[in-house]
Amino acid sequence: MADDVIALRELDFRHPGNDRPTLAIPELRIGAGQRMALIGASGAGKSTLLRLLDGRLRGWSGGSTVLGRSLDPDRPPPRHWRRGVGFVFQEFALVERETVRQNVLNGRLGHADALWSLTGRFAASDHAAAERAIRDVGMDEFTERRVDRLSGGQRQRVAIARCLAQEPRIILADEPISSLDPATARAVLELLRDSAVDRGATLVISSHQPQLVAGYVDRFVALDRGRIIFDGSPEAIDERQLSGIYGEASQSMMGETV
Amino acid sequence: MTTAQGKSASREDVLRQRDRERQRGWGQFLLSVVIVLVIVWAWNGSEIELYRLAESGGRIAEFLGRMIPPDLSVLPVVIESSAETLRIAILGTIGCVVLSIVLGVLAATNLSPSWVHVPVKAVLAVIRGIPLILVAMLMVGAVGLGPLPGILAIAFHATGMLAKFYAEAIESVDPAPMEALESAGATFLQKLLFGAWPQIAPDILRDTLFRFEMNLRESLILGVVGAGGIGFYIQMYVRAFQYEKVATLALVVIAFVVLIELGNSAIRGMLR
Repeated sequence: MADDVIALRELDFRHPGNDRPTLAIPELRIGAGQRMALIGASGAGKSTLLRLLDGRLRGWSGGSTVLGRSLDPDRPPPRHWRRGVGFVFQEFALVERETVRQNVLNGRLGHADALWSLTGRFAASDHAAAERAIRDVGMDEFTERRVDRLSGGQRQRVAIARCLAQEPRIILADEPISSLDPATARAVLELLRDSAVDRGATLVISSHQPQLVAGYVDRFVALDRGRIIFDGSPEAIDERQLSGIYGEASQSMMGETV
Repeated sequence: MTTAQGKSASREDVLRQRDRERQRGWGQFLLSVVIVLVIVWAWNGSEIELYRLAESGGRIAEFLGRMIPPDLSVLPVVIESSAETLRIAILGTIGCVVLSIVLGVLAATNLSPSWVHVPVKAVLAVIRGIPLILVAMLMVGAVGLGPLPGILAIAFHATGMLAKFYAEAIESVDPAPMEALESAGATFLQKLLFGAWPQIAPDILRDTLFRFEMNLRESLILGVVGAGGIGFYIQMYVRAFQYEKVATLALVVIAFVVLIELGNSAIRGMLR
């Protein structure tokens, strides 16, 4: 389809020394503005797939086109492409000793002049984008606070603000709610969904908690040992399919809906 | 059957444990013997005669008495030579910081391949093993008397320790924020400046200030071998038995070191 922002075909990736593929995906297309959850047990390949979509995975084979660019399995993508794909890390990946403002400004490094930025100065447009992102995640009263003095939920908001400051066309979020309590997790999911909708960005969230993410996405893709075993709407997945993905732990996983 | 096997296994365990305890007992006994032999060797070889220590009380009191009142007429000379010592410590520290940045990066296991960091770490260990006074004597021989050999000696000697500290700071960097910046489109230099530097800056500055303090104290004795600074006057006045001048010198040195330490503590407090 013309408006696909992600198109994978005959994708195969194996960790060195491992015969079993970590990813084996015949085809996967994700349209512009779509909100999708990648679900699956630990080791299913969710994080590996997100790294590939972010251009940080090397050594795979097959075809991978993201934002109209065919990715090279041996080379990192160029800077202007990287700033178009935002990534929210599971463990936040913030610079702990820096303030909220500086961490969010770091999301603008792909836009900032490569040499001028080394003086520590950012353009007015970078500051404006960072301030908007901080406001959007509700952290404006903590702008000058150091990140190591924030709670887990607040740190995740800062990590999302850094991603939003990038003004990405695709937002990839790797287990963004795994270390948060249910109420904070819902708030973070709502924030990701609303931010993606406001900006017209495509959202891909990986999660172990299908019951929580179901209300915030319009598509589930389930992975098992690197293969897609379900692709459909969150409403279409049933207990039997969930138990195929998570085993006994799936009991009443979809019982709690948002 | 199972019970019999279990009993036999547990008896073997008890015997093995007893063997281990016996071996440990022998090991501790041998270690104790070695320690005693080393102490006896050190004592006998040093010709220590305790009666001399007992008899020295009067002489020490006499020295201290001759230091009072301090002779303040040498104050201008002492202040000027202290300033020279400070200049040696400052320039020596700058020299070792420059060398340590380069060698610290080369010695860091997360930045340099093993064929680089292993030999660089070995070279740094060798540098740390060479006494400062020996380096200073070699530098005096190479470039002549004055502050320059002192600066070179401090820069060389301190690099052994500071580069090791820098390498350890670099090795402690959490790679996750750098990966996040790379994902956002940062260049390599932007990753270093915005991802790595904020993580290591407090450690690097703390280590540098600590090394500066050490360099200052070590610079005090460099004059003894002709490498500039206040050490020259310490040696001269002590040899001439001018203890009232030595007293002035000691007071200035103490004030000087305390002031620098207070300044450093204040800066370290701000780095937290």
